[in-house]
Amino acid sequence: MKWYYWVAIIPPVLACITCLRLIIRLVTPGRPEDFSVPAGNISESIRYAYTSSMNPARKETAFLHLPTYAAGIIYHAGTFLSLIFFPFIWLQLSPSEPVIFITSIVLVSSALCGIGILIKRMTNSRMRKLSNPDDYISNILVTGFQVTTVIVLNFSSAYFTYFIVSGLLFLYFPVGKLKHAVYFFAARYHLGLFFGRRGVWPPVNEK
Amino acid sequence: MQGNTPKIKPGIFNNHPDSRMITNMNSCVHCGLCAESCFFYLATKDERFMPGRKADLVTSVYRRYCTWQGKVFPKLVNARELNGEFASEMTDLLFGACTMCGRCSMHCSTGVDVPYLVRLGRTMLSEMGFVPATLQSTVNAALESGNNMSIPLTEFLDTIKWMEEELMDETGDPLSRIPVNEKRKEILYTLNPREPKFYPLSISAMAKIFYFAGESWTLSSEMYDVTNYAYFSGNNKEAAIIAERLRKEMKHLDCNTLVLAECGHGTRAFRWEAPNYLKQQFPFKVISSVECIADYIRKGRINLDPDKIKVPVTIHDPCNLVRNGGVINEQRYILKQFVKQFIEMEPHGIDNFCCGGGGGQLAMSEFNERRMKAAVIKAEQIRQTGAKIVVTPCHNCIDQLTQVNIYYKLGIKLMTMAEIVAEAIIPHKTNF
Repeated sequence: MKWYYWVAIIPPVLACITCLRLIIRLVTPGRPEDFSVPAGNISESIRYAYTSSMNPARKETAFLHLPTYAAGIIYHAGTFLSLIFFPFIWLQLSPSEPVIFITSIVLVSSALCGIGILIKRMTNSRMRKLSNPDDYISNILVTGFQVTTVIVLNFSSAYFTYFIVSGLLFLYFPVGKLKHAVYFFAARYHLGLFFGRRGVWPPVNEK
Repeated sequence: MQGNTPKIKPGIFNNHPDSRMITNMNSCVHCGLCAESCFFYLATKDERFMPGRKADLVTSVYRRYCTWQGKVFPKLVNARELNGEFASEMTDLLFGACTMCGRCSMHCSTGVDVPYLVRLGRTMLSEMGFVPATLQSTVNAALESGNNMSIPLTEFLDTIKWMEEELMDETGDPLSRIPVNEKRKEILYTLNPREPKFYPLSISAMAKIFYFAGESWTLSSEMYDVTNYAYFSGNNKEAAIIAERLRKEMKHLDCNTLVLAECGHGTRAFRWEAPNYLKQQFPFKVISSVECIADYIRKGRINLDPDKIKVPVTIHDPCNLVRNGGVINEQRYILKQFVKQFIEMEPHGIDNFCCGGGGGQLAMSEFNERRMKAAVIKAEQIRQTGAKIVVTPCHNCIDQLTQVNIYYKLGIKLMTMAEIVAEAIIPHKTNF
């Protein structure tokens, strides 16, 4: 293994440590104390928060913005796929040709979605006003990670570039909005907790 | 609006934040998809009114004072110092362009609790003395006089006496009463001060329901105010003082169940928030009057004339009672007993749009123009139902919709749940 393989493992390890630190920070203070008498099924509501409440048919942010919503789903799928491939690439385990082919199609699509979202953020005035530099940097790094994953899967000479881009992404992880990889799950949990306690979620039909 | 610029981080961040605060301060991904869930944005297309923008005002302060990223790279993550200029901007948007209705949270692609953040922002502003004077004066009135309209005790008792005479006329029973300060009754019933002040007939309407249900109940002249505007101002100490008075009166009168009058925020503030202000679980039952009426119908304690209301009727769901309080189907169950043509607004229930009067908006006259403009969404929802009567179990919503009715020339009649039920009730002899 070349020297940069060993250097390349440091940023993802740091990112994992950050994830762990964030989880500990969220879990340690415990569930916020609530003295009100519950009116609903909290555990069912939390389950609902992670499942049916995300159904695009129920979620206005999804069904009113289907192209953006679909782009976001594909983009995130591409990110997870790229992350799954990272250890295999680092270990220089080459997948079979069909796997590389399918993965490349998915990642090119997801990278295009990422670019689309970036262009929307840059050109749409309401998005521009909501955005800060972190939003742009996070998008560029994640999209770059997906693109270089495709490249390295198809051209073994691109390892150095791949590790530079992935390294930047993992190093940036603790800085900005990429941390929502952890906070997203915590946010759904708390929303389920809130609406479940009050008997709002899961929705029930008229009695 | 006067206020001091803090040199240190806002007090709400001084204690160890819990996981809910940490989560919500860090979860927004600035996707901007929440915009269409907010009636302020939908009505005005003003980008400042996007829920994500309002949430970002609060989280930017958190980042500035509580994160290394905000301290080292403030521009990168938009971390902002809470100075006087920024506090004024926050006041305008967090008090004047958000009712904390929670519609955006329910649809947020991540699950950010925007009203929770907005209220934290209001708490920050309250610590700095930036609560709009109009809203603060409503809180002060409650703190100083025991009710938010500063109704003198004699005036209140005179109104109750007058309504008792109305009740006698309605029931035909000269012995029918509106009990005040009676101990060890089953129910202590609260009022929205708007009732004795402007809508006394809604008191006699509920009294009529209690009468025919044969209920053992009482009002309190010491503490009858169901509202808690300190919930809106963000001042938890003042909210706790107001809530404690009602808890103490329950204990003093030794009743079993506290029935909260038709007031969305009052129900939310006492049933869901007050136990946390006071750090205790109440040893008595707390329910809304809507749940109480539905229970009477289910148990056959009151009978309603199924042919009484023939004109089209719709219901406006108060955000604090429905989306934030879980009372979703009871009001529909009640109306379907005696309303021939019940028409739902679209959307309705937990997805319903706020009327625009929540969040303390009605108390803040400086935002009147914006409030009425934003109410176009609700006005159109009502218009599309073709309803002649709009029922809403919230006096705050009644006030707002009364103004909306005139402003948008809707030609509707507004009624509380107690008023419409009292109209449909079939008189029968009671043991009361």
